Amino acid sequence: MQEAKKLCSLIGRNTKTYFKDKFLFFTSMLTPLILLILFFTFLRNIYIDSFTAAFPEGFSVDSKIINGMAGAWILSSVLSVSSVTVAFCANMVMVDDKIHSSINDFKVAPVKSTTISISYLISNIFVVTLVIISVLVLGCIYLAAVGWYISVSDFFMILLGCLCNILFGSLLATIVLSFVSTQGMQSAVASLITALYGFISGAYMPISSFSKGLANFLGLLPGTYGTSLLRNHCMNGYLNELANVGLPSEAIKGIRDGFDANIYFFDNSVPLPVMYGIIVGTCAALLIIYILIVILKNKNISFKFLDKIKDKFSKKSICEKD
Amino acid sequence: MIVKIENLHKSFKDVKAVDGISFCVKEGELFAFLGVNGAGKSTTINIISGILQKDGGKALICGEDLDKNIDKIKSNIGIVFQNSVLDKKLSGYDNLKYRAALYGIFGADFKAKLKEMTELLDLKDILKRPINKLSGGQKRRLDIARALIHNPKLLILDEPTTGLDPKTRITVWSVIDKLRSEQGLTVFLTTHYMEEASDSDYVVILDSGKIATEGTPHELKNKYANDYIKFYNKKDEAEEFFVGLGKHIRKERDFILVKLDSTNEVPKYIAQKPEIFDDFEVLKGNMDDVFLNVTGKYLKEV
Repeated sequence: MQEAKKLCSLIGRNTKTYFKDKFLFFTSMLTPLILLILFFTFLRNIYIDSFTAAFPEGFSVDSKIINGMAGAWILSSVLSVSSVTVAFCANMVMVDDKIHSSINDFKVAPVKSTTISISYLISNIFVVTLVIISVLVLGCIYLAAVGWYISVSDFFMILLGCLCNILFGSLLATIVLSFVSTQGMQSAVASLITALYGFISGAYMPISSFSKGLANFLGLLPGTYGTSLLRNHCMNGYLNELANVGLPSEAIKGIRDGFDANIYFFDNSVPLPVMYGIIVGTCAALLIIYILIVILKNKNISFKFLDKIKDKFSKKSICEKD
Repeated sequence: MIVKIENLHKSFKDVKAVDGISFCVKEGELFAFLGVNGAGKSTTINIISGILQKDGGKALICGEDLDKNIDKIKSNIGIVFQNSVLDKKLSGYDNLKYRAALYGIFGADFKAKLKEMTELLDLKDILKRPINKLSGGQKRRLDIARALIHNPKLLILDEPTTGLDPKTRITVWSVIDKLRSEQGLTVFLTTHYMEEASDSDYVVILDSGKIATEGTPHELKNKYANDYIKFYNKKDEAEEFFVGLGKHIRKERDFILVKLDSTNEVPKYIAQKPEIFDDFEVLKGNMDDVFLNVTGKYLKEV
């Protein structure tokens, strides 16, 4: 019971530290912000043109459907990207604790090291969930304004998709950053994730618009399926409405293919349940890896190959402090 | 004994940071650990407090074996680290609240402890402000409050006054003295300031991971420090007299300094040459001399 209260306190401390650090908060929101700026400046029109290009000649629909579908597509991008970029930035609290030796202050207290490790993961999930819910609420308000065609069941599936992405992002970030303990490595990882993840997840441009080789490579990354889940649930209502107003199924398939609602792994279409299987399976595998890391670190078993990388970034060793 | 260390070893790759040291700290005393950077002070403290694991040796802290009851030891020690480890973006209040929780202090118990610490360390005006908006001295007071929030028996201070202005240094020490006299707190200190070591009950000097010497400041000064006579007037006569006796002399603008083997020699010289003892001082050797003579290094330079 005492250990559970200590865990809650650590989660509160980690969460508060993240939200009080305005620079860290801004950095973590950078990729979603760039995405939104790009959307409102020119991507929105490109998406709308692409949707209408798939329509047969002379076919016209209410602009609400098209505008709403473009908004739903970008919402799925923001939700997917934020799950990972916010997770990495929020977990910088853990890295900062190592860099500034705050972790030593926890180590001298009678609290289990597993409790400290778990607190970072749970607080990360909590922070990412808060941010994702905020993004989702804002996104829903926008969609309600431009055109709302999302059913209740699709909305709950969006929530489920968000949960899968949050768990994936938080576990991945916590595992990767548990090996980062220097300022240099911290900057490198933060820059890499914020700059790269938007592209490799197909958030800026659909994966279908990439070369076949790159698209096949991205098919190997589990995050691709997490993004595609959200695309499916966000766009489903709009595509159904297009079918209701008479858009041929070939045209709908063209939109689904072109905007990553259908994902192909080496020319084979990946069904929705398989996408769930991949992302849930990946989360389970990451959780096992994380548990193993916590156990090994608890037993002071070091990862020698990573120690060598750390030495390259920083020549500092604890004995120098004497 | 509140701390009993026997044959402690710790290496980092090929570097022997702590090389078979043994020492004891008595309950209620102010114990000083001296050494240049890399001597092994922080490594020893990190082992005692459970941050690092030792390679060999035995350590009994507050009556508990470090290998068996580390959690009980952690409940009985408080540490003030060399650099503040408080969360810079959080307020003093939040820092103390979250740290107290790690010792199982919540709710009303925390409020009572906070009140006690606020009065003891004069924290009232700084509790609501974020740590990065506080001065060095204010941060130090919060560091000490954080270390004392769970009523430890042993307070470890790792260079607590380094970088502080003289006024804040005095404030910090007045708090520590108060705690020692009122609560019988044992203080384990590492410092670069020789005057702080001079005021301690027992001193251990570390050099390259080994104990170079140990004893009370008085014992160490008698054993390793030189005494001096300082002459302000009659400098030339004094110089001529002591050069004749083969004594080492240092000439300065306003005085000359004659190195003695012991202050016991002074009455003899006064009897021999009373006319040169017109305006003079007898200076007892200090801990700087002790450190220099033991390690061959100046502590302030390293």
